[in-house]
Amino acid sequence: MFHKKMMLTVAMTAVGALALAACGGGSDDSNGASSESASTINVLIGSSGDAETKAVTDAVAAWSTESGVKAKVSVASDIAQQLSQGFASGNPADVFYLTNDTIATYASNGSLDPFVEGLSNKDDFYPTIMDSFTYDGQVYAAPKDFSTLALIINSDKWAAAGLTDADIPTSWDELSTVAAKLTTGDTVGLSISPEFARVGAFFAQNGGWLVDDKGAVTADSPENVEALTYVQSLLTSGSMKYASEVGAGWGGEAFGTGAAAMTIEGNWITGALTNTYPDVKYTVAELPAGPAGKGTMQFNGGWGIAADSQNKDNATKLVEYLTQPTQQLTFATDFGVMPAVVSTADQWKTDNPALAPFIEGADYAKSIPNIVGIKDVIDELNSQIQSLSTGDPKTILESTQTNLESISK
Amino acid sequence: MTASELQHTVPEVRSAKNRRFDKLARRSRYSGILVYIALGILALVYIYPFLISIANSFKLDPDAAANPISLIPQTFSTEALQRLFEADFPTWFKNSAIVTVVVTSGRVFFNSLAGYALSRLRFPGRGLVFALLIAVMSVPSVVLLIPKFLVINELGMYDTYAGMTIPLLADAAGIFIMKNFFESIPASVEEAARIDGAGVFRRFWSVVLPMARPALVTIFILSFQGSWNEMSHMIISTQSPELFTLTKGVAQLASGALSAGTQYPIKLAAATIMTIPVAVLFFIFQKKIMNSSDGAVKE
Amino acid sequence: MMKRLKKPKEGGAHGHEAVAGWLFISPMVIILGLFLVIPVLMAAWVSVSDWTGRGSPFASTVNFVGTDNYAKLLTEPGLAQSDFGMSIKNNSYYVLLVIPIQTALSLFLAVMVNRRVLKGRGFFRTAFYFPSVTSSVAITVIFLFLFSTTGAVNKALHAIGVNGPQWFSDPKGILHMALGNMGIDTPPAALAGHGFLGNSWWQWLSGPSPAMCVFIIMAVFTTSGTFMLLFISALQNLQGEVEEAGIMDGASGWQRFWHITLPMLKPTTFTVLTLGLIGTWQVFDQIYVGTKGNPSKTTLTPAYLSYSSSFQNNQWGRGAAIAFILFAIIVAMTILQRIVLRDRKTLPKRKRFYRDGPPSAVVPATPTSPLVPTASGAQMDDSTPGEGDQR
Repeated sequence: MFHKKMMLTVAMTAVGALALAACGGGSDDSNGASSESASTINVLIGSSGDAETKAVTDAVAAWSTESGVKAKVSVASDIAQQLSQGFASGNPADVFYLTNDTIATYASNGSLDPFVEGLSNKDDFYPTIMDSFTYDGQVYAAPKDFSTLALIINSDKWAAAGLTDADIPTSWDELSTVAAKLTTGDTVGLSISPEFARVGAFFAQNGGWLVDDKGAVTADSPENVEALTYVQSLLTSGSMKYASEVGAGWGGEAFGTGAAAMTIEGNWITGALTNTYPDVKYTVAELPAGPAGKGTMQFNGGWGIAADSQNKDNATKLVEYLTQPTQQLTFATDFGVMPAVVSTADQWKTDNPALAPFIEGADYAKSIPNIVGIKDVIDELNSQIQSLSTGDPKTILESTQTNLESISK
Repeated sequence: MTASELQHTVPEVRSAKNRRFDKLARRSRYSGILVYIALGILALVYIYPFLISIANSFKLDPDAAANPISLIPQTFSTEALQRLFEADFPTWFKNSAIVTVVVTSGRVFFNSLAGYALSRLRFPGRGLVFALLIAVMSVPSVVLLIPKFLVINELGMYDTYAGMTIPLLADAAGIFIMKNFFESIPASVEEAARIDGAGVFRRFWSVVLPMARPALVTIFILSFQGSWNEMSHMIISTQSPELFTLTKGVAQLASGALSAGTQYPIKLAAATIMTIPVAVLFFIFQKKIMNSSDGAVKE
Repeated sequence: MMKRLKKPKEGGAHGHEAVAGWLFISPMVIILGLFLVIPVLMAAWVSVSDWTGRGSPFASTVNFVGTDNYAKLLTEPGLAQSDFGMSIKNNSYYVLLVIPIQTALSLFLAVMVNRRVLKGRGFFRTAFYFPSVTSSVAITVIFLFLFSTTGAVNKALHAIGVNGPQWFSDPKGILHMALGNMGIDTPPAALAGHGFLGNSWWQWLSGPSPAMCVFIIMAVFTTSGTFMLLFISALQNLQGEVEEAGIMDGASGWQRFWHITLPMLKPTTFTVLTLGLIGTWQVFDQIYVGTKGNPSKTTLTPAYLSYSSSFQNNQWGRGAAIAFILFAIIVAMTILQRIVLRDRKTLPKRKRFYRDGPPSAVVPATPTSPLVPTASGAQMDDSTPGEGDQR
């Protein structure tokens, strides 16, 4: 019967089309790991810009040529989300960026491979960075670089306010004074991003931190309360405003557009200023010391390898290549990070004399503790910090204490 | 106004009927002007944001920051557009187009097949399918984000075009529209074809479907708009930059990629360009959408 | 809904139709099953499991944890609970403000542009409807620009002597701001000491933050056009009836609208409210593109929290549990709204008007009441154009 046949044909076509679409997508156009041979190393990075992307791509390509193993670099828009999805899909990138505040979360569910023990250059790295990558006694990322916070000063505005090098603040009082002096008209003296990753430096300067050396939670210690109260006083005096309050996305933008005369940022700001605001002249100074001495925050970047990687040997070799001192120095020049290898510190200082305050900070910097679920707690603290001008420092830190205790059992 | 108040006002209105009519006529002239002014202002409020975004696409950063309201750039610049096209923007556009074409054509075809079956054909399990349809319609799409990712993942469709498009073919509401429309076509139209010995598919394809053009257009419009504008599904079904659609790409742009800071011209240019295809669709089918909202609704 | 099922005439055709029917419907059944039914079942499992996002959720290493994930959100004090409470609070203000405004505005627009005497009706309809067709991503980008601290809106406000707020960075709720202006800065002990879902009553009463207000304005901006079209089509359907009734009564335009048109529009209003309720609980795109929940979590919504718990913090069970609670909220609200509106219908305003109103001579042969209790079929039809736009 003609019509029956035709009907069947069409229905089959319909189902077939679906199947085809399913297969077609998988095999032709996708660049997902699934479609490529297992011998290709997929590298996932979160890039600060074109310079970083190019530097990493070039380095990986150079390794590919040398080793004969194919490798491909992808830039993630939201690396946390893409890593989570990758781990859940059982088909993650082989090698990827990790930061010290996410390691515990991924390590705790077995997504990461503890490959660092096997690295030939594992003793070259800063021990503090290695510590911050340690979860349950094992190191899950190979240090690739680190950043610290420093005080960035707009030289022109500084001079215009009648200030000299001798006035660079070395204490909280001096910071308040210069910030007030620099606050004029449309310019605010100091502007920072409203987050713990900036404000935390003041905790360190007052001898406080979220946890003590033994790992006990000390978020609501008197030192921390005092530090947060000081930050609050800067806000209420009007000589410090959050970047969002001056219409900027982050401290560097507030600084670059001239809305702020000073900001507290990490060494990544140098790249942004060079590229986006080349006309702004600036000085980098160590953060002022607090009552308990110098203090800053440190952010560590590393290379991680997925536990589900099909190609761990080659992935490890690639990471070894990318973390060797010469390569780290190249990255440092290309996109303004500081190498995580002890032996290169002097070289880096010579190369970047103006940025020396950043690397000095490494001696006394604190890192965000790596505890499973720390991101939630910091997010909550950030949200409290955003409304700090009307909040109560003690109450804020008490709630942080409770939240931290609940995850660090 | 309560009922008892009305009791008083209404007879009064009647007794003064003639006088009142004159007054009404006069008043309506004034109120007519007022209505135009009010609607004019409202229309401006609705349109101005789009004009602003077009204008600011052609400004330089400082100009856009300093004069956001102005519709005329101080210096006319296509820098933002150039930067967009140097970036992945063309890829995003291509992917959006692929998704839209596949999903729209797929929905039009499968929805009409299913709608026809549900309205015209008797088969065992029809009631069950119908009940299933109503049940799944009530599940909000946002609730499905996580589970859809899980299934796409289990099926090995994660990060592929298949994963981006096939799940979007599910369109219970569209089946409903088609089903209702087919039900409004008298069964007798198929009689002649049936007597000629045409099979089910032939009757569907060459007799009933051509009569369902208005409903097909409705599905077409809704699917085009829906899939072009779809974001959340793209977030959970892909990760490679090569598979970004406009929605995902522009969302990423908005949160700071490509530029360290708030470079509005480039973002607004992206927003403007991604609006163009739906705007074109809208103007092509304007009559259809506007006059017969009952077209979309009543069919 | 009309049923025009024809009886098969030949015996053979019956089986034939059965095969055809299944063939016709199978693609959609497969797709709906795979991407709607199975996902829901899978998520149900994940929401009661301790799956941490690695490998298959059905692997043997994944354990059943009962209602742990739900308890963390609903009953155990902690960050998970207070975040969830915060998101519910934020979204409640969104729902409470968006639904009445969008319904009233779209009805107003519909009545205005439906007037026969109005010239340029097409233009106005186009203008009001256009935002509804554009992508939520594009609109969010535009609104971020309009409402930035030194943006267009604040510039315009400045021109008329008003200091606009820091739309996207001020975390204070507008009710708290208003109370602050009246000198009430510290919460009464009764409100501060007790609370619900990890937030004190004082926090619950904060009102939406300026950032949330921007999203509320945006929602009204993008949905009023769609709902306007629904109202227009309803108005067109009962145009003759209304005029007839109105002329007979000699009622003024306002009276005619209030006592005749509005009651007749009840089914459409009902649809608009239902769609509004479903849509406003699913705020995701705007938050993802615009604020990621900032400032101070005042734009966190359950939908976004569900996403970020799972995809960013690896709390897959918690994320799935939030999704199910959200689903339950939407269903409960819709049912509640149905019950509330159904009760009112027992005494329609129009009937009251006639019963107590003008003397019998003026009362025309009452047209059959359009207030036929909403056929759910009609609801379904209406629901399609709106659904996509709300998100």
